[in-house]
Amino acid sequence: MNYRPYALLAKVTYGCPLHCPYCSNPVRYPQGEELAAREWKRVFDEAAQLGVLHLGLSGGEPLNRADLAEIIAAARGAGLYSNLITSAVGLDPKRLEEIKKAGLDSVQISFQADEAGLGDTIAGARVHQRKVEAALRVRETGLPLSLNVVLHRGNIDRLGNIIALAEGLGAIRLELANVQYYGWGYLNQKELLPSRGQVRNAGVTAQAAQGRLAGRMEVVYVLPDYYESRPKPCMQGWGRRYLTVNPVGDVLPCPNATSIEGLSFENVRRQSLAFIWNESASFNLFRGTDWMPLPCRECPEREIDFGGCRCQAALLTGNAYVTDPVCAFSPDRSKVDQLLFALAQEGIPSGGWIARRNP
Amino acid sequence: MREEPDSGPMNSLNFDDRPALADHVRLKIDPVSGDAVLLYPEGVLILNSTAHDIVKLCDGATNGHEILAALSAEYEVDESTLRADAAECLADLLRRNLMVLNP
Repeated sequence: MNYRPYALLAKVTYGCPLHCPYCSNPVRYPQGEELAAREWKRVFDEAAQLGVLHLGLSGGEPLNRADLAEIIAAARGAGLYSNLITSAVGLDPKRLEEIKKAGLDSVQISFQADEAGLGDTIAGARVHQRKVEAALRVRETGLPLSLNVVLHRGNIDRLGNIIALAEGLGAIRLELANVQYYGWGYLNQKELLPSRGQVRNAGVTAQAAQGRLAGRMEVVYVLPDYYESRPKPCMQGWGRRYLTVNPVGDVLPCPNATSIEGLSFENVRRQSLAFIWNESASFNLFRGTDWMPLPCRECPEREIDFGGCRCQAALLTGNAYVTDPVCAFSPDRSKVDQLLFALAQEGIPSGGWIARRNP
Repeated sequence: MREEPDSGPMNSLNFDDRPALADHVRLKIDPVSGDAVLLYPEGVLILNSTAHDIVKLCDGATNGHEILAALSAEYEVDESTLRADAAECLADLLRRNLMVLNP
């Protein structure tokens, strides 16, 4: 079977002025020089040839790159639809004009909360008000605006206000994703994981907003999967639709894949993207269904969730080759239940999370 | 809350309206499959050939009647079928927030 990538996530730098405790950056940063703009150009051209249509420009904070406009122009040249995923810190009028002219298609701004007090505490920097101003500037330029807000115990009860903020700013899309517990998020899990009741209430709020805002603002709500009985279809399957290139050029089937002990990945400085996508050991490792253990191998839902998340399996069981422990059929489900039980017993946390550090 | 009950994009299309792709949507021919696709933040919609022909006519200046007339010149189906197909296609794109009226 031939697979084709549809979307490329380009993490152009790990540096970021924010210090969110659930950051998707790796805890152990890989060594190496950041890819230069001309190297990104080659990556984008090769990605487009493979079938990639969408580009997410992320990090870290992509605006940390002084040559971001050049990178965006390269994406435009390759015909990719580019979305800048940004904290908006540094998105001043001059910069905004520059990246718009370079051919950027849309902007997605992260918010930590609906108001400055909580938002700045989570971000570890005084940034909320600057984000609001930047979002309004994005709207003035005519670029489409999306918001993303990572949800956790500290902000999930404010979901109604968060949705109102996105509406007020004129966003066309609002992504409400609960923290994924890898990397920094896993380190800070005790401080971040919401209670079952919080998750239930947030689900009701999100669903009501989806109905009310249909046709005006798309509201995407991603549950914390520990409270589910089936795993998420992580990346729509390993090596099926998505690829990530990290700042130093490693090509990953999923942004967190470097967290799996014992795996190694190819690099765009040494191999073509086509070779890496089609032929590399890393992309073929969990592709399709042949790799699957029981109960996945005989499960009627194996083409729906693809066995769940490899990083989560590795993190919670020490073995990336087993069924995602979130699944009720996993022999390791008790590990998730024990975590949930322990967190429920411990009550309100101290607020003493570990802030993300830069490389 | 919706203030104006008639402005809802789910309501049946008025053929006096002039549809256009929303600002955040880009029409592209997928070089791999040859299909026409609409690209928008985090999304791809593959268009069938009829939908592609309709979308190409949605320039914000051409109204629904004119779009129908242009389509009838190309398609050998009766007008009421064509009208229903075009209305359904445009209503779907409006519902998905990919199309705007009278920009």
